[in-house]
Amino acid sequence: MPTIATEVLVLFSAILACLIVVRPEITVTRAGKILAFGVLFFLPIFSLAVGMQNEMTRSESTSFCLSCHIMESYGKSLHIDDPSYLAAAHFQNHRVPADEACYTCHSDYAMFGTIKAKLGGLRHLYVYYLGKPPLPQDIKLYKPFNNQVCLHCHLGARSFEEGVVHNADPGTLPAIKANKLSCISSGCHEIVHNVGHWGDVKFWYQKN
Amino acid sequence: MNRRLRISGVLVIIGLVVEAICLLWSRPIAFVVLVVFGGALIGTGVLIFLHSLASVAPDSAHSSPVAPGNRQ
Repeated sequence: MPTIATEVLVLFSAILACLIVVRPEITVTRAGKILAFGVLFFLPIFSLAVGMQNEMTRSESTSFCLSCHIMESYGKSLHIDDPSYLAAAHFQNHRVPADEACYTCHSDYAMFGTIKAKLGGLRHLYVYYLGKPPLPQDIKLYKPFNNQVCLHCHLGARSFEEGVVHNADPGTLPAIKANKLSCISSGCHEIVHNVGHWGDVKFWYQKN
Repeated sequence: MNRRLRISGVLVIIGLVVEAICLLWSRPIAFVVLVVFGGALIGTGVLIFLHSLASVAPDSAHSSPVAPGNRQ
Protein backbone atom coordinates (compact mmCIF):
# COMPACT_ATOMS: atom_id res chain seq x y z
CA MET A 1 0.00 0.00 0.00
CA PRO A 2 1.46 3.43 -0.87
CA THR A 3 2.60 5.62 2.00
CA ILE A 4 -0.12 8.22 1.45
CA ALA A 5 -2.87 5.56 1.63
CA THR A 6 -1.31 4.15 4.80
CA GLU A 7 -1.18 7.65 6.28
CA VAL A 8 -4.87 8.13 5.53
CA LEU A 9 -5.70 4.77 7.12
CA VAL A 10 -3.68 5.58 10.24
CA LEU A 11 -5.18 9.05 10.64
CA PHE A 12 -8.70 7.71 10.00
CA SER A 13 -8.15 5.11 12.73
CA ALA A 14 -6.86 7.79 15.10
CA ILE A 15 -9.88 10.03 14.45
CA LEU A 16 -12.28 7.17 15.17
CA ALA A 17 -10.35 6.34 18.33
CA CYS A 18 -10.75 10.00 19.38
CA LEU A 19 -14.51 9.52 19.06
CA ILE A 20 -14.40 6.65 21.56
CA VAL A 21 -12.20 8.65 23.94
CA VAL A 22 -14.47 11.71 23.84
CA ARG A 23 -17.75 9.81 23.99
CA PRO A 24 -17.19 6.35 25.50
CA GLU A 25 -20.91 6.13 26.31
CA ILE A 26 -21.64 5.32 22.66
CA THR A 27 -20.33 1.82 23.35
CA VAL A 28 -23.48 1.07 25.36
CA THR A 29 -25.41 0.20 22.22
CA ARG A 30 -24.65 -2.85 20.11
CA ALA A 31 -23.51 -0.67 17.18
CA GLY A 32 -21.23 1.24 19.57
CA LYS A 33 -19.72 -2.02 20.83
CA ILE A 34 -19.00 -3.11 17.27
CA LEU A 35 -17.51 0.30 16.54
CA ALA A 36 -15.32 0.11 19.64
CA PHE A 37 -14.10 -3.34 18.66
CA GLY A 38 -13.24 -2.13 15.19
CA VAL A 39 -11.61 1.08 16.39
CA LEU A 40 -9.70 -0.24 19.40
CA PHE A 41 -8.84 -3.71 18.17
CA PHE A 42 -9.07 -4.35 14.44
CA LEU A 43 -8.07 -1.00 12.93
CA PRO A 44 -5.00 -0.33 15.14
CA ILE A 45 -3.60 -3.81 14.51
CA PHE A 46 -4.35 -3.56 10.80
CA SER A 47 -2.80 -0.08 10.62
CA LEU A 48 0.30 -1.26 12.45
CA ALA A 49 0.68 -4.25 10.15
CA VAL A 50 0.26 -2.10 7.05
CA GLY A 51 2.67 0.51 8.44
CA MET A 52 5.31 -2.12 9.19
CA GLN A 53 4.89 -3.62 5.74
CA ASN A 54 5.30 -0.13 4.31
CA GLU A 55 8.53 0.40 6.26
CA MET A 56 9.83 -3.02 5.21
CA THR A 57 9.25 -2.19 1.56
CA ARG A 58 10.84 1.22 2.00
CA SER A 59 13.89 -0.36 3.61
CA GLU A 60 14.67 -2.05 0.30
CA SER A 61 15.13 1.27 -1.50
CA THR A 62 18.51 2.67 -2.45
CA SER A 63 17.67 6.04 -0.92
CA PHE A 64 16.87 4.33 2.41
CA CYS A 65 20.29 2.63 2.56
CA LEU A 66 22.07 5.81 1.53
CA SER A 67 20.25 7.93 4.12
CA CYS A 68 22.87 6.82 6.68
CA HIS A 69 25.82 9.18 6.57
CA ILE A 70 28.27 6.30 6.60
CA MET A 71 26.85 4.99 3.32
CA GLU A 72 27.25 8.24 1.40
CA SER A 73 30.49 7.27 -0.30
CA TYR A 74 29.00 3.91 -1.29
CA GLY A 75 26.16 5.81 -2.93
CA LYS A 76 28.68 8.02 -4.68
CA SER A 77 30.54 4.96 -5.94
CA LEU A 78 27.44 4.05 -7.96
CA HIS A 79 28.09 7.10 -10.12
CA ILE A 80 31.75 6.46 -10.93
CA ASP A 81 32.26 6.83 -14.67
CA ASP A 82 34.32 3.69 -15.14
CA PRO A 83 32.85 0.36 -16.30
CA SER A 84 35.44 -1.61 -14.37
CA TYR A 85 33.66 -0.53 -11.18
CA LEU A 86 31.18 -3.39 -10.83
CA ALA A 87 28.59 -1.63 -8.67
CA ALA A 88 28.63 1.50 -10.84
CA ALA A 89 28.33 -0.48 -14.08
CA HIS A 90 25.35 -2.43 -12.74
CA PHE A 91 23.63 0.66 -11.34
CA GLN A 92 24.14 2.94 -14.33
CA ASN A 93 23.13 0.34 -16.91
CA HIS A 94 20.11 -0.79 -14.88
CA ARG A 95 21.39 -4.33 -14.61
CA VAL A 96 19.92 -4.00 -11.13
CA PRO A 97 16.83 -1.88 -10.39
CA ALA A 98 18.25 1.58 -9.69
CA ASP A 99 15.79 2.19 -6.84
CA GLU A 100 16.68 -1.11 -5.13
CA ALA A 101 20.35 -1.34 -6.05
CA CYS A 102 21.81 -2.09 -2.61
CA TYR A 103 19.14 -4.61 -1.68
CA THR A 104 19.39 -6.47 -5.00
CA CYS A 105 23.08 -7.30 -4.58
CA HIS A 106 23.33 -7.44 -0.79
CA SER A 107 20.45 -9.73 0.07
CA ASP A 108 20.55 -13.46 -0.23
CA TYR A 109 18.05 -15.00 -2.65
CA ALA A 110 17.68 -18.10 -0.48
CA MET A 111 14.51 -18.80 1.52
CA PHE A 112 15.40 -16.60 4.49
CA GLY A 113 17.51 -14.09 2.57
CA THR A 114 15.14 -11.20 3.16
CA ILE A 115 14.88 -11.93 6.89
CA LYS A 116 18.68 -12.17 7.16
CA ALA A 117 19.01 -8.85 5.34
CA LYS A 118 16.51 -7.17 7.68
CA LEU A 119 18.22 -8.56 10.79
CA GLY A 120 21.55 -7.39 9.39
CA GLY A 121 19.99 -3.96 8.90
CA LEU A 122 18.89 -3.86 12.55
CA ARG A 123 22.44 -4.72 13.57
CA HIS A 124 23.78 -1.90 11.39
CA LEU A 125 21.31 0.44 13.01
CA TYR A 126 22.49 -0.58 16.47
CA VAL A 127 26.14 -0.02 15.54
CA TYR A 128 25.34 3.28 13.83
CA TYR A 129 23.44 4.81 16.74
CA LEU A 130 24.77 3.02 19.83
CA GLY A 131 28.07 1.47 18.80
CA LYS A 132 31.23 2.67 17.16
CA PRO A 133 30.67 2.68 13.40
CA PRO A 134 33.74 1.95 11.30
CA LEU A 135 35.05 4.32 8.67
CA PRO A 136 33.33 3.81 5.30
CA GLN A 137 36.48 2.36 3.75
CA ASP A 138 36.83 -0.12 6.63
CA ILE A 139 33.38 -1.67 6.15
CA LYS A 140 33.69 -5.30 5.16
CA LEU A 141 31.19 -7.99 4.20
CA TYR A 142 30.31 -10.47 6.97
CA LYS A 143 31.30 -13.35 4.68
CA PRO A 144 32.63 -13.65 1.15
CA PHE A 145 30.19 -12.53 -1.51
CA ASN A 146 28.07 -15.46 -2.61
CA ASN A 147 28.19 -16.17 -6.35
CA GLN A 148 24.53 -17.18 -6.21
CA VAL A 149 23.62 -13.51 -5.92
CA CYS A 150 25.37 -12.83 -9.26
CA LEU A 151 24.05 -16.04 -10.82
CA HIS A 152 20.50 -15.11 -9.90
CA CYS A 153 20.61 -12.88 -12.99
CA HIS A 154 23.66 -14.02 -14.95
CA LEU A 155 23.08 -17.76 -14.97
CA GLY A 156 21.98 -18.75 -18.44
CA ALA A 157 22.88 -15.38 -19.93
CA ARG A 158 24.91 -15.67 -23.14
CA SER A 159 27.57 -13.21 -22.02
CA PHE A 160 28.16 -15.30 -18.91
CA GLU A 161 27.82 -18.81 -20.32
CA GLU A 162 29.87 -18.10 -23.47
CA GLY A 163 32.27 -15.53 -22.02
CA VAL A 164 35.84 -16.07 -23.25
CA VAL A 165 37.44 -15.94 -19.83
CA HIS A 166 34.71 -18.06 -18.27
CA ASN A 167 35.40 -20.79 -20.84
CA ALA A 168 39.19 -20.48 -21.10
CA ASP A 169 39.51 -23.38 -18.70
CA PRO A 170 36.86 -26.13 -18.67
CA GLY A 171 36.85 -26.10 -14.90
CA THR A 172 36.16 -22.38 -14.51
CA LEU A 173 32.44 -22.25 -15.25
CA PRO A 174 31.51 -25.23 -13.02
CA ALA A 175 33.67 -23.77 -10.23
CA ILE A 176 31.88 -20.41 -10.49
CA LYS A 177 28.47 -22.08 -10.47
CA ALA A 178 29.45 -24.17 -7.44
CA ASN A 179 30.60 -21.04 -5.60
CA LYS A 180 34.13 -22.45 -5.42
CA LEU A 181 35.63 -19.69 -7.54
CA SER A 182 34.44 -16.28 -6.41
CA CYS A 183 33.32 -13.79 -9.05
CA ILE A 184 34.45 -10.93 -6.81
CA SER A 185 37.51 -11.97 -4.84
CA SER A 186 39.24 -14.25 -7.35
CA GLY A 187 40.76 -11.27 -9.13
CA CYS A 188 38.29 -11.04 -12.03
CA HIS A 189 35.64 -8.56 -10.87
CA GLU A 190 37.35 -7.33 -7.72
CA ILE A 191 36.69 -3.61 -8.20
CA VAL A 192 33.24 -3.13 -6.68
CA HIS A 193 32.85 0.03 -4.59
CA ASN A 194 36.54 0.58 -3.71
CA VAL A 195 35.63 3.31 -1.26
CA GLY A 196 38.73 5.13 -0.08
CA HIS A 197 40.79 4.06 -3.10
CA TRP A 198 39.22 6.01 -5.93
CA GLY A 199 42.11 8.22 -6.88
CA ASP A 200 41.23 10.47 -9.78
CA VAL A 201 37.92 9.02 -10.95
CA LYS A 202 35.16 10.86 -12.81
CA PHE A 203 31.50 10.68 -11.93
CA TRP A 204 28.44 10.27 -14.13
CA TYR A 205 24.95 11.44 -13.20
CA GLN A 206 21.83 10.74 -15.22
CA LYS A 207 20.40 13.80 -16.95
CA ASN A 208 16.74 14.37 -16.23
CA MET B 1 -15.40 0.41 31.70
CA ASN B 2 -15.47 3.96 30.32
CA ARG B 3 -12.20 4.83 32.05
CA ARG B 4 -10.48 1.78 30.55
CA LEU B 5 -11.92 2.57 27.15
CA ARG B 6 -10.53 6.10 27.42
CA ILE B 7 -7.08 4.87 28.47
CA SER B 8 -7.11 2.29 25.70
CA GLY B 9 -8.20 4.91 23.17
CA VAL B 10 -5.56 7.42 24.24
CA LEU B 11 -2.79 4.81 23.97
CA VAL B 12 -4.01 3.71 20.56
CA ILE B 13 -4.20 7.33 19.38
CA ILE B 14 -0.66 8.10 20.56
CA GLY B 15 0.58 4.89 18.95
CA LEU B 16 -1.12 5.78 15.68
CA VAL B 17 0.33 9.29 15.77
CA VAL B 18 3.80 7.80 16.32
CA GLU B 19 3.16 5.52 13.34
CA ALA B 20 1.98 8.43 11.19
CA ILE B 21 5.14 10.39 12.01
CA CYS B 22 7.37 7.37 11.33
CA LEU B 23 5.76 6.86 7.93
CA LEU B 24 6.68 10.41 6.97
CA TRP B 25 10.18 10.10 8.42
CA SER B 26 12.26 8.31 5.83
CA ARG B 27 15.18 7.24 8.00
CA PRO B 28 16.25 3.77 9.14
CA ILE B 29 15.56 4.65 12.79
CA ALA B 30 11.90 5.27 11.87
CA PHE B 31 11.27 1.52 11.57
CA VAL B 32 12.63 0.88 15.06
CA VAL B 33 10.61 3.75 16.54
CA LEU B 34 7.50 2.46 14.77
CA VAL B 35 7.93 -1.07 16.11
CA VAL B 36 9.23 -0.30 19.59
CA PHE B 37 7.16 2.76 20.55
CA GLY B 38 4.22 2.69 18.14
CA GLY B 39 3.81 -1.07 18.43
CA ALA B 40 4.09 -1.02 22.22
CA LEU B 41 1.55 1.79 22.59
CA ILE B 42 -0.95 0.25 20.18
CA GLY B 43 -0.42 -3.21 21.66
CA THR B 44 -0.95 -1.95 25.21
CA GLY B 45 -4.07 -0.04 24.15
CA VAL B 46 -5.54 -3.11 22.45
CA LEU B 47 -4.72 -5.29 25.48
CA ILE B 48 -6.39 -2.83 27.85
CA PHE B 49 -9.46 -2.80 25.60
CA LEU B 50 -9.59 -6.61 25.54
CA HIS B 51 -9.08 -6.71 29.31
CA SER B 52 -11.95 -4.27 29.76
CA LEU B 53 -14.19 -6.55 27.70
CA ALA B 54 -13.15 -9.64 29.62
CA SER B 55 -13.47 -8.05 33.05
CA VAL B 56 -16.81 -6.28 32.51
CA ALA B 57 -18.78 -9.06 30.86
CA PRO B 58 -19.08 -11.39 33.91
CA ASP B 59 -20.02 -8.49 36.24
CA SER B 60 -22.78 -7.25 33.99
CA ALA B 61 -24.04 -10.81 33.56
CA HIS B 62 -24.40 -11.25 37.34
CA SER B 63 -25.30 -7.79 38.55
CA SER B 64 -27.79 -6.65 35.96
CA PRO B 65 -29.78 -9.58 34.69
CA VAL B 66 -31.95 -8.66 31.77
CA ALA B 67 -35.49 -9.89 31.60
CA PRO B 68 -36.13 -12.00 28.49
CA GLY B 69 -38.55 -9.45 27.12
CA ASN B 70 -36.21 -6.48 27.67
CA ARG B 71 -33.17 -7.69 25.74
CA GLN B 72 -31.77 -5.18 23.27
